[in-house]
Amino acid sequence: MPQLEQVEFFISQLFWLGVFFVILFTVLTYITLPKIRAFLNQRDDFVKSHISKQDELIKKAESIIENYEAKLTEAKNQASQIINVAKDKALKESEDLIKATEEKIQHEIKQTEERVAKEKDTAISELNDQLKDSATNFLSKVTNIEKGNINL
Amino acid sequence: MAKGESPLKQFEIQPIVDINFLGFDISFTNSALWMTITTAFILIFFTVPFLKPKKTNSVSDLYPTRMQVAAELGFNFINSLLADTVGKEGKKYFPLVFTLFMFILFGNLFGMIPYSFTFTSHIIVTLALAMGVFIFVTVLGFVKHGVKFFSFFVIPGLPIYMLPLLIPIEIISYLSRPISLSVRLFANMLAGHTLLKVFAGFVSALGFFGILPLVFIIALTGLEILIAFLQAYVFAILTCLYINDALHLH
Repeated sequence: MPQLEQVEFFISQLFWLGVFFVILFTVLTYITLPKIRAFLNQRDDFVKSHISKQDELIKKAESIIENYEAKLTEAKNQASQIINVAKDKALKESEDLIKATEEKIQHEIKQTEERVAKEKDTAISELNDQLKDSATNFLSKVTNIEKGNINL
Repeated sequence: MAKGESPLKQFEIQPIVDINFLGFDISFTNSALWMTITTAFILIFFTVPFLKPKKTNSVSDLYPTRMQVAAELGFNFINSLLADTVGKEGKKYFPLVFTLFMFILFGNLFGMIPYSFTFTSHIIVTLALAMGVFIFVTVLGFVKHGVKFFSFFVIPGLPIYMLPLLIPIEIISYLSRPISLSVRLFANMLAGHTLLKVFAGFVSALGFFGILPLVFIIALTGLEILIAFLQAYVFAILTCLYINDALHLH
């Protein structure tokens, strides 16, 4: 097996292994790996900053939505209030109108009744007078007494 | 592979440039060549996509390119691995685990290229990596806890008469960590590559019926690529667990 037979090359192998391992280790440690790490960190920072920015924007959007909803409910409340007021007003107005109309009608009915009663009275008294006249005439014709002397 | 060649020949180290330093033979070999390729590839793969200068300060700068996504994938993979096993304190050890994982992973994967060389199939390399992890973790434990680190070998809640039996077992299992860590990686790479070569030998030996081992090799190559990833992952996750042990003891 050359691995164990070629003992004369052991020092050479160890020497070059040491040389290349140290070169590799030194360059990687002081140049390559910091460069890669810096690159990765830069990207991570960028992503992180964007994530925090995004969080901020989300918070902002949420507060805007909250604000909007609060305003919306307020407006709704106001609208229903206005509607209620208008409803009440309209109801009251119509009630008033109905009441006024009813009163007017009652009044007219009363007036008409009064007039009818009055006319009835006059008609009855007129009829009375006429009856009296006819009776008087009849009596005077029958009794031959002057109309003026008959007093019923 | 030429006929009659040993399936182990692929693991032979061939010097490319002979170098002698203070009496030590530190020749640049095929092993060192593939370490160079692996190191260069990892550095290019992970660094170049992020070298692009920033044009503007607009959002489009933050869109990753395809190569950046690929590099990020590896970065995040090790990052979550450490976070899951060690936790927040694990961040400090991220470069170490990342380097280990990528070095072993691409070492294994480049070893799958035909005619290439798998340096992770050499016990000396994996043992060196495992010993490095072992020594680092032990030193870390002593730095964090001082002498209290020895309490790591005492399992809490055990009756005292069990301790003389269990403390040696704990110490042996602790000391065998680098061996199991290195042999696992080495043996997996060795076995997989040898098996591939052996079946590749059957392809030419069986003539027309060589198509059967050929199909098998294709499936096995897929499995080997999986193992290449898996072993790097195992090495990395065990390193994470050892770091976790050193930081938190029990």
